[in-house]
Amino acid sequence: MDSGTESASADAWDGEIETEIGHDEYDPYGTLTLIGIYFVIIALLWVFMYFVEFLGEGPTVM
Amino acid sequence: MEIHRYETIWFAASLLLIVGFIGTITYGAVGVGVEMVDDSGGTVDPDNLGSHERFGDTGVHKVNESHYEVNMIAVHPSFIPSEIEIPAGSTVTFYMTASDVTHGFKLVDSNLNTMIIPGQVSEITAEFDEPGEYGFVCHEYCGSLHHEMAGNLSVVPEDEWGGVDS
Ligand SMILES: [Cu+2]
Repeated sequence: MDSGTESASADAWDGEIETEIGHDEYDPYGTLTLIGIYFVIIALLWVFMYFVEFLGEGPTVM
Repeated sequence: MEIHRYETIWFAASLLLIVGFIGTITYGAVGVGVEMVDDSGGTVDPDNLGSHERFGDTGVHKVNESHYEVNMIAVHPSFIPSEIEIPAGSTVTFYMTASDVTHGFKLVDSNLNTMIIPGQVSEITAEFDEPGEYGFVCHEYCGSLHHEMAGNLSVVPEDEWGGVDS
């Protein structure tokens, strides 16, 4: 168990750098897409909760 | 410090979301006129509700053609009154207080929701445009029969309304 973990981390850190990219070349568009989807869901849920569930609920405190 | 362009996008989007949250709530308050329950009802002596001008006379009372008042006392495990009837198309102000412990009031299928606290008058006003039946429940645990503490508000067509409580 211990040795396995050690060799895995050693592999990860001791390897040669294959490609070096600059700050702005890092382009995690998959993560961006996923977070974008979460964002749209949250925004739509807010609209649903406030306008449909709250304001559409009938008599309200005036 | 270098900020990645994706992070810039994220900062902008999350700020926009917060502005959107504040904007919708401002619209609700200013445009629709939704109010919060506050302490405008004032205070009352919970040990002498019987001789109080409002709570000595519970039930539905008429202010004018379209405005009614409901004076209500919460006392474990009942609302007094627990059966309320009002005409459709009216504005109703509820004045509620408790004589024993803290209770709650939630009119189901509406946004009417408040605590009822001994010594404090909870005042909430709402408009009931359409006929319908609304249940209400106590939602603050108040004792062994808390689960039985409930009542019913009937909004009836104007010509079927039975009148104010004597
Ligand atoms: Cu109660």
